[in-house]
Amino acid sequence: MKKINLLLVIGMLFILLTTSCKDEPDEPVIPNEEEVITTLNFTLTPDGGGTAVVLTFLDLDGDGGNDPTITGGTLDTNTTYNGSLELFNELESPAVDITEEVEGEALDHQFFFQTSIGEINIAYDDMDANGNPIGLSTIITTNVASSGTITVILRHEPNKDASGASTGDITNAGGETDIEVTFNVDIQ
Amino acid sequence: MAVSGLVKDVSTGVAISYATISVKGFSSGDVTDSLGFFHLESICVGEYHIVVNHIGYETQELYLNIAGDTAMTVFLERNSQLLDEVEVIGQGEEVTTQESHSLNSESIAQNSDKNLATMIESISGVSVIKNGSGISKPVVHGLYGNRLSILNNGIAQSGQQWGIDHSPEIDPLIANIITVVKGVGALEYQGSSLGAVVLVEPRKIDREPHLNGEGRYFFESNGLGSGLNLELQQHRKLLAWRVVGTLKKSGDNRSSEYFLRNTGNQEANIALQFEKSWNRKWFSELYFSSFNAEFGVLRGSHIGNLTDLEEALERDVPFFTEDNFSYSIGSPYQKVNHHLLKFHTKYSISENQWFGITYAGQYNLRKEFDVRRSGRSDIPALSLKQISNFIEVKYQNSLARNWELRGGIQINQVDNTNLPETGILPLIPDYTASDYGVFSIVTKTIDKTTIEFGGRYDFENRNVAAISVSVPRKIIRYDNDFLNLSALGGVKHEFGKGWEASYNIGYAARNPEVNELYSNGLHQGVSGIEEGDPTLNKEISVKNTLSIKGNVKDRLFFEGLFYYHKIDNYIFLNPQDEIRLTIRGAFPLFKYEQTDARLIGFDLAATYQATERFNVTGKYSYLNGYDVTNHLPLVYMPSNNLYAGLNYQIPDLGKLQNVGFQINSRFVSEQKNLLPSQDFVVPPESYYLIGLKVSAEKQLPKLGLNMFVRAENLLNETYRDYLNRQRYFADDLGFNLIIGMNISF
Repeated sequence: MKKINLLLVIGMLFILLTTSCKDEPDEPVIPNEEEVITTLNFTLTPDGGGTAVVLTFLDLDGDGGNDPTITGGTLDTNTTYNGSLELFNELESPAVDITEEVEGEALDHQFFFQTSIGEINIAYDDMDANGNPIGLSTIITTNVASSGTITVILRHEPNKDASGASTGDITNAGGETDIEVTFNVDIQ
Repeated sequence: MAVSGLVKDVSTGVAISYATISVKGFSSGDVTDSLGFFHLESICVGEYHIVVNHIGYETQELYLNIAGDTAMTVFLERNSQLLDEVEVIGQGEEVTTQESHSLNSESIAQNSDKNLATMIESISGVSVIKNGSGISKPVVHGLYGNRLSILNNGIAQSGQQWGIDHSPEIDPLIANIITVVKGVGALEYQGSSLGAVVLVEPRKIDREPHLNGEGRYFFESNGLGSGLNLELQQHRKLLAWRVVGTLKKSGDNRSSEYFLRNTGNQEANIALQFEKSWNRKWFSELYFSSFNAEFGVLRGSHIGNLTDLEEALERDVPFFTEDNFSYSIGSPYQKVNHHLLKFHTKYSISENQWFGITYAGQYNLRKEFDVRRSGRSDIPALSLKQISNFIEVKYQNSLARNWELRGGIQINQVDNTNLPETGILPLIPDYTASDYGVFSIVTKTIDKTTIEFGGRYDFENRNVAAISVSVPRKIIRYDNDFLNLSALGGVKHEFGKGWEASYNIGYAARNPEVNELYSNGLHQGVSGIEEGDPTLNKEISVKNTLSIKGNVKDRLFFEGLFYYHKIDNYIFLNPQDEIRLTIRGAFPLFKYEQTDARLIGFDLAATYQATERFNVTGKYSYLNGYDVTNHLPLVYMPSNNLYAGLNYQIPDLGKLQNVGFQINSRFVSEQKNLLPSQDFVVPPESYYLIGLKVSAEKQLPKLGLNMFVRAENLLNETYRDYLNRQRYFADDLGFNLIIGMNISF
C-alpha cells in the first residue's frame, strides 16, 4: 500500500514539474486594416471653373484613439458647384482608394446629404445600375449669404427603393451608417 | 420464481403505497399495497429491467439478474418537493453545506429544445442574458460571464466568457444532470466564480451489460426548429462506453407579429465517454465532447452609429424584416467550435480515501461575422482561438471522528490568440495565462449537523501582447501577476421531518479580465466606444447565504434562500460624459471602472401537494444591485420575477402512465431599479406569459416512451425583456408549440 502511495505521489510531482509553461504570447500579427476609412474629401468645384473648395475629414488612426481633424470651407453665393466625394484608407501604405469599393457596390450604398443651411441645394448627379442615386457626384447650388453645416452620410445596405430615398430623404432608408461627418460651411 | 419487495422514501424511510412496478418488455407488474409491499409471480431465470414509478418520486430503473426467489427494498427519491429539487448525488462523495438545485435526465429530456441557459432558467434565482433567441448566458444571483463558473464534466469551461453575447459552448443534451450551486464559493474549481457554479455532468455509465440507450426528437413551431439526440451505451467488463450526439436546426423565429430575420441557428454536437474499472480500487474515465454551432443574429440589430440606434429605437418593426420565413443564416452571425478532452483516473485506497488525477484540454474557436463592404462579410470580424490545458491532483480522506478532508493542486494554462484574418484591430489582445492553485476543504458531520470550511490559494501569471490604437501600430506587452486567497465556511443543520437550515459565507477574488483591462475601440453591437483600464484591481467579494427548507405535514414544502453579496472593486462599464467622434459619426464613450457594489436578494419557492395528484408551485426571485460608492443602481441586473404552476398527475390513464398536465405562468416585473441616464432607453414594461405542458409515459415491450407537448407564450403576448439585448430592436418571441418524444430502449 505504501509503495502505491509513493508511486502516486511521485507520479503527481512528475506531472506538475513537466507541465511546460509558455511565458509570452507570440508576436501578434498586426491585421491589414483594409476596410477602415480614414479620409473623406468632399471637393466642390465651381461649374464655370475656378478654385475648388475641399471639405476634409481626417482620422488617421481609425475609430477611437486621437480625435479626427475636420476642415470646413467657404462657398460663394449664387454659384453652382460640382461635388465629388473621395474616400481613402491611409492606414495602408500606399493609401487605398475606398471610393472604388463604394462604386463597385453602388447598389448597396448611398450617400445622403443634410444641411442646416436653407439657401443651399444638393442634388444627386450619378446613378447605379437600377437608376437610383449613389451620391459620389452631386450638384450643389448656393443662394444668398449664410452659414451652417453640411452632413455627409454613407449608408451601407439601405433600402434604396424606400419612399423618398432617391431624392435624398434618409428617413426610410435604413441600413448601417458607414460614414457620418459634419462640416462647417460659410456662404459669402 | 418470485420477486418481492418493499418501496420506501429514501429520505424519510416511510413506505410508499401505490407505487407501480413494471417489468420492461413484459406485461407483468404490480402496485405496492398500503404497507409499500409488492410481489411479482412467475418470473423465469434471466435478466430483467424493473421500473418503479410513483407520482412525486424519481422513477427508478433496476437491472436484475434473477436466479431464484428475490427480495429487495427499493428507495425512491422525492422529486416534486420543489419540482427541480434533487440532492446532488451525481457528485457522490462530496458533501457540502451550500445550496444547490438540479435538473435531472427527465427534465432535460422534456426541455430538449432549449439551450443550457434557458434550460436552467426554471431554477429560482437563475435568469438569462440573451442576444436574440439562440445566444443566451445564464445569470445566477445577478452574476454572469466571468463571475460565474460553468463546469463541463468537472472542467471549468474555457472560452470567451467575457462577451455578453457569447453563450456557453455546451450542449445540455449531452448531460444527465445539470446543477446550479447557488453558493458562496467554489474552492474546488479553478475559474473566477464569485459564488455560484453551474455543473453540467454526464452520469456514470449504467451497469447494464446490454446495448441500450435513448433517442429524443423535438419539433418547435416557432422557428420551425427540430432536434435529434441519440444516446447509446453499454457496460462491458472490458470497457464501458457511451456515445451521445445531437443535431439541431431552426430558422427565423417569430415575435408575436413579425419574423425576426436571421435568427436561425444550427448545432451538431457529440460526446464520447469511456469508463474502465481496472480493479476494485482503480477506475479510469476518458471523455471527449465537441460542440459546433452557428447562431444567426437579428439582421435589424446590426447598426452603424448612435443615430442608427436612435432610429431603430423609434421603430415598431425592425429594419430588414421580411414577410417570409427562412432557414438561411447570413451576416451577422457567430460560428463557434469547442472541444474538450478529459482523462480522469482515481485510485481508492479505502472506501473514503482516494487519489484522483485529471487532465483536460480544451480548444475553443469563435468567429463572428458582420455585414461588411466589398465581399468581406465572409471574413470574420472577430476570430479568436483559445487553447487551454488543465491538470489536477485531488485527494480525499476521512479523518478521525467524522472529519472529511478534500484537497488538491491544479494547474491551468490558457493561450488566447486573435487570428489575423479579420482585417480589423482585435477587440481583446492576445495573451497567455498560467494559473496555479491549491485548495483544501474540511467537512464534519455530527449527527444532523454538517460544518464545512476551506481555503484556496491561486497564483496567476498573465502575459499580454496588445496592438496599439495609435499609429503606427505597435505591440505593447503587459505582464501581470495576481495572488488570490479565497475561503469559505458553512454550517447546515437538519431538524428532521424535512426541515433544515444552512448558513454560508465565502470570500473570493476575481482578477480583472483582459477585456476589462485592455479593450479599446468600437463595440458595434452596442454603439459605443469601450475603453479598458490597465490599472484595474481585482474584485473582492464576500457573499453570505442563509437557506431554510421545511415542510408542513408533508403537504406544504417550502424553501427560502437569502443572500447578501458585497463586491469591492466591482468592474463595470460606466457611460462617460464624453462623445467620441469617428468617421461613422458620434459614439458615446464607455470606460471600465471600479466601484463598491452590493447585491441583496432572495429566492423563495413553495409547493403545496393538495392531493396525491394535484399540486401548486410558486417561486419568487428578488434582487437589488446597488453601487454603494456612487449611489446608483447596478446595470444589467435581472428583474424580479414570479412563477406559478398547477400540476395534475394521473398514474394510469388507459394505456398511458404518469400522465401529467401543467399550466404555468411567469411574471417578470419592469426593472425599476435603474436611472434613465444608465441606458439608451427605459427598461421594458413588465410582462406575463402563460404556458401549458402535457406529458405521458408508455411502457411497450422493450421500449419506454415519454412524450410531451409544451406551449409557450400561449397568448402570443408582445413583450420585451430587460436582459435581452435585442430589446432595442425587436419584440421577444411569440407563441411556440413544442412536441417531443423520448424513447428508451
